[in-house]
Amino acid sequence: MWIERKALAQEIPAAAALETRQLSELLASLGFPVDGVASREGGDVLDVDITANRGDAMSHRGMAREVAARLQQPLAPIAMPTLAEGKPVVEVRLESPACPIYSTAVLELGPGTTPADIQSFLLALEATPKRLPAVDASNELLHRYGHPTHAFDADRIRGAVSVRWARAEETLVTLDGVERKLVEQDLVIADEAGPIALAGVMGGESTKVTEATTRVLLESAWFDPKPVKAMARRHSLHTDASHRFGRGADPHMAMVARNLLAGRLQAWCQATLVGAWTAGAAPATAKPVPLTGTLLTRIAGEPLALAEAAEALRRLGCATDLDGGTLQITPPSWRHDLMISEDLAEEVLRLQGYEHIPSVLPPLEGPPEPLSHAYLQRQRLARRLAQLGFHQTVTYGFISPEADAAFAAPGNGAEGRTLVNPLGQEYSVMRGSLLPSLQAVADQNLRQGAREVRLFELAPVYNCSPAGPVEQFLLGVVWGGTLGGEDYLSPARAVREADLSGIAKDLGWEGLSPLRSLGQGLFGFELPVESLPRMGARIIPAFSPFSRFPSVERDLSLLVDLGQSHVALTSAMRAALPKGALLDLRCVDVFRHKSLPEGRQAWLMRMRFQAERTLVGEEVDGWVAAALAAAESLGARLRA
Amino acid sequence: MDQLLPVEIVEAGRVFPQALSACADLDGLLRLKGAYVGREGSHAATLMDLLKAAPKEQKRELGAAINALKQQWEEGLKARQLELEAAKKQHASRADRWDPTLPPPVPAQGALHPLNRLMDRLVDVFRPLGFHVEEGPEVETEAHNFDGLNIPEDHPAKASSDTFYLAAHPELLLRTHTSPVQVRTLLRVAPDLVARGGIRFLAPGRVYRKDEIDPTHSPMFHQVEGMLVGHGIGMQHLKGTLEYALRALFGPETEIRLRPSYFPFVEPGCEVDVSCPLCGAKGCRVCKGSGWVEILGAGLIHPNVLKYAGIDPTEWSGWAFGMGVERMAMMLSQTPDLRLFFENDQRFLRAMGGLD
Repeated sequence: MWIERKALAQEIPAAAALETRQLSELLASLGFPVDGVASREGGDVLDVDITANRGDAMSHRGMAREVAARLQQPLAPIAMPTLAEGKPVVEVRLESPACPIYSTAVLELGPGTTPADIQSFLLALEATPKRLPAVDASNELLHRYGHPTHAFDADRIRGAVSVRWARAEETLVTLDGVERKLVEQDLVIADEAGPIALAGVMGGESTKVTEATTRVLLESAWFDPKPVKAMARRHSLHTDASHRFGRGADPHMAMVARNLLAGRLQAWCQATLVGAWTAGAAPATAKPVPLTGTLLTRIAGEPLALAEAAEALRRLGCATDLDGGTLQITPPSWRHDLMISEDLAEEVLRLQGYEHIPSVLPPLEGPPEPLSHAYLQRQRLARRLAQLGFHQTVTYGFISPEADAAFAAPGNGAEGRTLVNPLGQEYSVMRGSLLPSLQAVADQNLRQGAREVRLFELAPVYNCSPAGPVEQFLLGVVWGGTLGGEDYLSPARAVREADLSGIAKDLGWEGLSPLRSLGQGLFGFELPVESLPRMGARIIPAFSPFSRFPSVERDLSLLVDLGQSHVALTSAMRAALPKGALLDLRCVDVFRHKSLPEGRQAWLMRMRFQAERTLVGEEVDGWVAAALAAAESLGARLRA
Repeated sequence: MDQLLPVEIVEAGRVFPQALSACADLDGLLRLKGAYVGREGSHAATLMDLLKAAPKEQKRELGAAINALKQQWEEGLKARQLELEAAKKQHASRADRWDPTLPPPVPAQGALHPLNRLMDRLVDVFRPLGFHVEEGPEVETEAHNFDGLNIPEDHPAKASSDTFYLAAHPELLLRTHTSPVQVRTLLRVAPDLVARGGIRFLAPGRVYRKDEIDPTHSPMFHQVEGMLVGHGIGMQHLKGTLEYALRALFGPETEIRLRPSYFPFVEPGCEVDVSCPLCGAKGCRVCKGSGWVEILGAGLIHPNVLKYAGIDPTEWSGWAFGMGVERMAMMLSQTPDLRLFFENDQRFLRAMGGLD
């Protein structure tokens, strides 16, 4: 909200002595940070950020109240003509409790326009002066005192005016020229022909004040914040008025603002008063809120005298009553945010300045909790993969239905995971797999010229259930591109499935290969984090003895069929070998060449033996022969 | 004397020194040796035949001349051989020598994501104060995301223009902050809060808001929530903890500043500024010359939040804070565009993430 320094100083003269920077710091320390300062013709204008709970601060007067309370300086009085309340010129019926007071007047307009200083005040606040006194005065009052008012062309109102709920099928063309279909939750001002304004939000086109207007009906009411907020949202009509009524205006300002508005019209365009009257009355003030010394001291972190607190709260317009050990506080009619003791404690601290709050570390009242296994597991996996050369990615949890369908598990339908209001179709399904996102990131990196991509992500995927999507943390890994070739010792070659398979093994995965080919030499897998082995519960695992006798290594070069399964061959050979002595058995080289018999390949099988004694050559020879025989039973032959 | 020798031999003798020095390796030298002093067909053999056939009276003189010539050749060959052998040895030793300036094979280098790294760092900072990590789902109920946090029924954040909702489950949404983890955790620990001696935790995680993707907005981002519940907790404890944590994060000379602010789930509420870690509060582009940077929002837990979880606010009190991870990462790294964090270019990740 824009606050003109000059206009602020008219409300709180002591602020005139402050430099813009000092004023900005003062406002920030009161909870109203200044987002920017604009230098305009009439002086500096501050862009003040006002939190949603402080409708009362949305005006120069509102800001001035805050500054006055902090500086302990008086506010300027509001110069207001007194208007004699008279008989209604037009009947005003209040049919809903959402509008308890409606203060109005009818005036005959004379010649004259909006004064230049008012026009420049409005321009400084980025409001456009209309040079229609009734409109500009209403606008000026809103910015100066925070109370929204409205002027109708009185001659275009038909019959009595009522404040009531809209009826189904009713419509209203608002001032912005849009025809609005009304619902029964819309509070309207209506004449006998139908709605003429959305209460507290925007006036209607049919009764708006124009150059031709000669008689105006003023409206200065108070509307319940709830229906106003709802209407603003329903009709996407966020106006200066709806912001202020929606956050809670001051009901006692209804008559004051009406008087000020009438007074301005009398002064600016020689308007003559036909009549002024008020329907209803301002609602009763809120109940007092208690504040105890105990609570205040606990929140403030140091003993604060209740008398001191009472003094601070009085500066904010509260009525205070020290009742035994408890302060009873009645907030002023403009403060709707002071509802509980904590609110009052905050006000005391706020006026004092948060910089006076002491700094203390909270005492530990119980034993700290360890980090969860699931959390530590993810940390461990992330660190291991980063050490192995993989880059951790962070991608959106929603993807396109097409990308999702290509990877989600068959039973995991997308319907239960689809957003009703996505940013776009490509972000509409809570993903059932990490691989589409990783594939997209990998492709993008390769397109950007990366020789090799190594990526992983640790994130939840969403599995459908009748109660809604259930999250499961997955680890997704992809690897592709060209390996090596960047130094004199590492030859260049394409990344192979086996490379990624080795990564799954490194992470402790022992099941079947979870690998998927993602096209263009890119491979990936994803696994539930909880399916990977946890770090052991013991700090150091139990000791398992190992032999100190020398081990013996033997290689067998076998011709095997091209379709031979390694696991089948090794388990057959293993079965023929003494369990206690076989340390390891694996294929250490695969040779495929046209010089070999067609349909065959050569595998170099390595066996490593060790026992709790020195092994003798002959017995090892016997084992190797047995292993060979087992291999031969599967069709393998010793390679000549 | 020369007239005694055939013209081609004289010529061979004349070019011998050049031939010798032109010999670049031992093989060449061997061939040269064969041509000059070999047993058969060499210049020396030709000379010996000449000597045999020479008249007796010439033999003495001729023999001396031939010997001198042969000796000259043999010595030359020998010397050259030594030279070439030395050179070969030297080459061999050079070939074996490792050149440390040649680029060596370097193990592939990966990286943690900078956002995760920053969140891990925050956890590290709070661990010594007894904070652990609590987590919650990203698909949340309206109750946990709003109602339990004292957010009024008609709060604009609930609108479908701000929050993503699920089509098949109208009561479910994508959490708009990590604060529902507060609600879940408080509900869980409420029955044995006394035995636990209160609770203190961090809740790092991903959150969603319906913002279009641009350099400063993302529909998904990260927050770290902090919460502490105990006896007699006040603003001084919030300030003390944040002062400790932000100094641990940015350096011991760091100052913090609390400013009043408003969030429905805390009362009193505040924004917390930190003295600009980039310029040491001297004033720079990042702090817009003010020396302060806004870093998080915080406050004392609103009694309604405790009540919702079944915790008596007259006995227990606490504080909570929420911090935007991307905002902090962008500020610290001066990354100009938020989208870089979600684009996952390996060059960015390597430069920004690192290993721990």
